[in-house]
Amino acid sequence: MPLIGQLALALALVLAGYSVIANVVGARASIPALTASARHALWAMCAMVTVAVGALLTSLLHSDFSLEYVASYTSFSLPTIYKITALWGGQQGSLLFWTWLLTVFTSIVAFQNRRRNPEMTPYALAVLAGLAIFFLGMLNFVTRPFELLAVIPADGQDLNPLLQNYWMAIHPPSLYTGYVSASVPFAFGAAALMVGRFDDSWIRSTRRWAIFSWFFLTLGNLFGARWAYEVLGWGGYWAWDPVENAAFMPWLVMTAYLHSVMIQERKDMLKVWNLVLIGMAFGLTLFGTFITRSGVISSVHSFTQSGLGPYFLTFLILVVVLYSGLLLSRVKQLRTPAEFESYLSREAAFLFNNLVLVGIAFAVFWGTLFPVLSEAVRGVKITVGPPFFNKVNGPLALALIFLMGVGPLIAWRRSSLDSLAKTFASPAIFGVTTGVCAFAAGLREWYVLTAMSLAAFVLGTIFVEFRRGVSARRHMVAESVPVAIVNLIGKNNRRYGGYVIHIGVVLAFTGIVASAFFKTEVKKSVKQGDTFQVGPYELEYLGINTTETAHLESARARIEVRRNGKPIAMMEPAKLFYKRLQQPATAVAIRSTPASDLYVVLAGIDDQSGLATFQVFLTPLVFWLWAGGVIMALGTVIVMWPNVRERAVIAAAVRAPSPMEGDAQALAGGD
Amino acid sequence: MARLPKFRTRTTAIIIVLCAIAFALPIVVAAAPSVSRQEVSEGLTCQCGCGLTVANCNHPNCEFSVPVRDQIDGMLGRGMSGAQIIAYFRGKYGEKILSAPTTQGFNLLAWIMPFAAIAAGGALVVFTVGRWRTNSPAPTPADEPAAGASDDNFDPELRRRLERELRDRL
Repeated sequence: MPLIGQLALALALVLAGYSVIANVVGARASIPALTASARHALWAMCAMVTVAVGALLTSLLHSDFSLEYVASYTSFSLPTIYKITALWGGQQGSLLFWTWLLTVFTSIVAFQNRRRNPEMTPYALAVLAGLAIFFLGMLNFVTRPFELLAVIPADGQDLNPLLQNYWMAIHPPSLYTGYVSASVPFAFGAAALMVGRFDDSWIRSTRRWAIFSWFFLTLGNLFGARWAYEVLGWGGYWAWDPVENAAFMPWLVMTAYLHSVMIQERKDMLKVWNLVLIGMAFGLTLFGTFITRSGVISSVHSFTQSGLGPYFLTFLILVVVLYSGLLLSRVKQLRTPAEFESYLSREAAFLFNNLVLVGIAFAVFWGTLFPVLSEAVRGVKITVGPPFFNKVNGPLALALIFLMGVGPLIAWRRSSLDSLAKTFASPAIFGVTTGVCAFAAGLREWYVLTAMSLAAFVLGTIFVEFRRGVSARRHMVAESVPVAIVNLIGKNNRRYGGYVIHIGVVLAFTGIVASAFFKTEVKKSVKQGDTFQVGPYELEYLGINTTETAHLESARARIEVRRNGKPIAMMEPAKLFYKRLQQPATAVAIRSTPASDLYVVLAGIDDQSGLATFQVFLTPLVFWLWAGGVIMALGTVIVMWPNVRERAVIAAAVRAPSPMEGDAQALAGGD
Repeated sequence: MARLPKFRTRTTAIIIVLCAIAFALPIVVAAAPSVSRQEVSEGLTCQCGCGLTVANCNHPNCEFSVPVRDQIDGMLGRGMSGAQIIAYFRGKYGEKILSAPTTQGFNLLAWIMPFAAIAAGGALVVFTVGRWRTNSPAPTPADEPAAGASDDNFDPELRRRLERELRDRL
């Protein structure tokens, strides 16, 4: 298996190299047979990397400890599911998995565009194959997943206990999918610059890829937060850790991009800015990988540190320099006469939304790198942690929520003050009333009051928009309200799916604010049979059960939770001990309700005194962070859902000459 | 019939207030005073090498964060403020224990830069948009947005077409 895997990777590298050359030469010399051959080479490359992944998976499942990777990240007793997830639990495996995703997406793009976008596709595929060359080069020459050991150990070292969790089965693949799929719009953007296509065909061609990337970046961030919440045992989900920041930044920039391209699609403006944004989003995915793997900044999520940092940094710099050079060389052609009439317009709202999103991304970037800068300048490596990020990003988040309410309802081009007053009166009253009610009830945290008012305002605007649409439908076609809502979303899925995403964002934001401000913590050492109070709950410690398997020992405490004297739950927080690694770990117990989460950690057991120490967090409304995430995902699915009318528009665009270059073929898109 | 609009306005107002209360209630109910230990320990960086704050260190038996958390509990119990506790630990371990840059000297740059960048970006947006506005053709009455426009002189044929297309699109 190792030999097959290594051979497959070597062949894949050769095929990637051939594909770059054949695509570029075939496109420049207009030799369709050569570009077709390049396409076939990409599919063969994907097949080869799939063989390599299969070979490594087989070795992992069969505990083939002759492979250094298998011996380093698994053991005989490791449960099968974690032998599979070990594929992305270590340096070489995760890089192989990343490369596999890249080759799969490249193959899909090659297939989708086999008869479309003849002008841009070869260059886009050459860019994607160029990226694959870098990763395959690393796998072949720098960090080889099929490296053999001179002496085969009797057992492997086992997987880091923190990675032995079901969220780890889905968090890294989601995040990697988000990262890697951002390559597709980037590649088409670069291709558009190379061939001089200055209309929005590259955006239309990759719109679904961009949303797909955003969807998985959203899920990846959420799953990572949930993993931290369940595994790290400190009652929180986000610590502004460098690796969390590295995953958050592309999400922010991709969000800005998805809003900004609407202006280009609608008004043929912001061409340069959109190319900058997609370049930034892609660059930040590479930056995230660099941070995770270089060890330049310590992180709780960084399990794969190695000496790859310089290679990634060099590659990142190379990509940034080449892309920037290409963009600068085309700036003059990209300039179009912009029509902008008023600050009271949707364009303006979207521009400021972009400013805030990119501003937050910059603040996160700056805070993440400041320790390195401080060390270089002063020789003191300081820490930039949650207090900094919360203080800097807190006000910006409020501005963003406000714009989220304003943007979708304000008219394109310009809006009069009268129409603004009409449109926003009810939502504004709802927002202010919410704040006043909360203040009257005794809430004095100004940030929370503002956040609640703005969240209510945004929900109000979305309600107004839905009501307006439903009324229009019912006026035109006699149908019930639920049917009207379904049809409204179905026929305008981009727009109303977007509103559903906004509802999810507002709910998640509310959960984040409430849980950040009002989390309470109790630490108690108790004997069996003792009770203690946490908020409205009474907790009784009933005792400890110990169990042992070949893999781990566990001491599981039993706690009966009562409210108003009535038992409502049995919680079992545990301390685990992984035998192979000789490492302790914590398994928290969580009782989640829409009102609050009761989060219990077994902090320690004193065998002599019989005392068990519990750390208990009562976190209000954190449920809505996860619920908001689910709603955001649902909204994204609605946005991505195939729309018959949109396809008809694209098909019509293909038949008609392009308004810019007369070549509308590309408008058919690859999505 | 003439009283209907007033009735509807009052009903809408009542619905808005009820909705606002319903939205505000869960947070107000949850608004217990936040625990000071959490706040204070978030201001300190754990020195075990995890790179997290004392509040967030995930090592179950961490030799640094666990005793420091207990120490913070004791100090709070003796009536010390969060700032005093953080100053105490800074005196003991130096600047490296703080989880946010100070607001002095070079560190001030950490705080200023994000807002300076956004201010510069905002100025650029305003400047660019201002230039675009100057270059844009003057709006004609036909450009007035639908929400603010009067529809008295709307062409009946256009209205029929609009309704037909709306029916198709909605």
